[in-house]
Amino acid sequence: MSDAVRVALCPHPPLLLRELSGAVDAVPALRTACRDAVADLVARHPAAVVVVGAADHPGAIDDGLPIEVRRFGTTGPRTEPGPTLPQSLGIGRRLLDEAGWRGRTSLRAVSWDAGPDELTALADDVLGRPGAALLLLGDGSARRGEKAPGFLDERSFGFDDAVADALASGNPGPLRDLDTGLAAELMVGGRSVLRLLGLLGERLHPTRAALTHREDPFGVSYLVARWDLG
Amino acid sequence: MARSGPPVRGMRLGPAGTVACVLKLGRGEFADTDLLVMAIVNRTRDSFYDRGATFDEERALDRVRQVVADGADLVDIGGVKAGPGEVVDAAEELRRTAPFVARVREELPDLVVSVDTWRSEVAREVCAAGADLLNDAWGGHDPELAEVAAEHGAALVCTHTNGAAPRTPPHRPSYADVVASAVRDTVALADRAVGLGVRRESVLIDPAHDFDKNTWHSLELTRRLDELVATGWPVLVSLSNKDFVGETLDLPLGERLAGTLAATAVSAWHGARVFRVHEVAETRQVLDMVASIRGTRDPARAVRGLA
Repeated sequence: MSDAVRVALCPHPPLLLRELSGAVDAVPALRTACRDAVADLVARHPAAVVVVGAADHPGAIDDGLPIEVRRFGTTGPRTEPGPTLPQSLGIGRRLLDEAGWRGRTSLRAVSWDAGPDELTALADDVLGRPGAALLLLGDGSARRGEKAPGFLDERSFGFDDAVADALASGNPGPLRDLDTGLAAELMVGGRSVLRLLGLLGERLHPTRAALTHREDPFGVSYLVARWDLG
Repeated sequence: MARSGPPVRGMRLGPAGTVACVLKLGRGEFADTDLLVMAIVNRTRDSFYDRGATFDEERALDRVRQVVADGADLVDIGGVKAGPGEVVDAAEELRRTAPFVARVREELPDLVVSVDTWRSEVAREVCAAGADLLNDAWGGHDPELAEVAAEHGAALVCTHTNGAAPRTPPHRPSYADVVASAVRDTVALADRAVGLGVRRESVLIDPAHDFDKNTWHSLELTRRLDELVATGWPVLVSLSNKDFVGETLDLPLGERLAGTLAATAVSAWHGARVFRVHEVAETRQVLDMVASIRGTRDPARAVRGLA
């Protein structure tokens, strides 16, 4: 019998790339929570880490690609034209780098609005890797205030609360059955990733679940959670 | 090293191929990319802008405290009005400056202190009292002043005054090329100072806006300040509320801050390093903004669109 699959969920705002906010860290509490979650993820020396984040084109992503920073800001030389990691996976890669993870890493891009077949195939892929840990990158609603990227949609609060409850209690059902239409309207960037977690939780029931951090300082819902599956 | 456009991050070649990466002003050392605010503190009864506001020693000390709180990197203490006015002999200038330098030094031991004087006998006393920098605003009128700087390890500002006698306003000055004249004279003064023993990294040049110049001349100096920067000597500019700003905008004293700050921004973009000013907080903001546009200073806190 294989070990439990350890899972960490982190959001992926560009602000997690420390250099982008300038002189001060704009998300210190989130950074600490993500650091702790990823440290926990790799603490038991998994055989590999599978990183899943949403992107425009699904599929396996070359782990050797650079993290895109310059496109968002800073003042260094412009990056050479060429492929870079999708934004969500770039944050995942950076979090692993900061945790000192040098082991095998597989990056998987999932569609923003993945269909059931894509999610099933991805779940099979992840669970077919004995001893691997899973780092998921996904945000909640981006419409939680008048200054939010998507302005204010009052439905965000109930939606995010339900997601947070499911994450905190290790209840995969509400995640698997996420209202995808509403999630897209609320600019929930993590909608496919949350559904993937629900699907995985249905197959290997969570034995440990914790929502370790939750905030929305810029109107975007950041949720950090840890699950052990099976 | 000739260069046009905004300075780039990193080291650049200085005079004779030296690397001008640090500016050393007495006890102060500053990086190549630092933009420094030099706050004016006048111990005069009649200076054109403050009109005696800090003639009193306690008032002057309050001003020093305030400008430091506002972000000044150094203060420039003067005992004689630049333009014509009350006669101030060396003895009176010394009474106004030397003990005051000592008081500032005692209260703020790390503050870089400059003294604005053209007299070597004053320079010698204020250096003994702890001055770091001699602002020879009348450009080598007293040739011994550079020797005093060398003797005391003080820094020196070499200024272009076109040979004008101290405290004389311009009368029909004309130049074939005012920028070339400023480059030639300030570089000659700087080379001479180094020859006398002033440390190379402690010499600044100042084209001296309004000093034996009309408004057209001062505007051209500002427009082409990169040519002074290209000499490799660090450039100080003294623009604050001057007549060239007032005439350009047709504004009296007291209404020249915006114009001063515009000239400050352009000068900083061209590569000036030290800014001698009355309004410290506003200048600090402009210089921080220019430095961030140039890319040598990160924004204080950038979150827009990044959440």
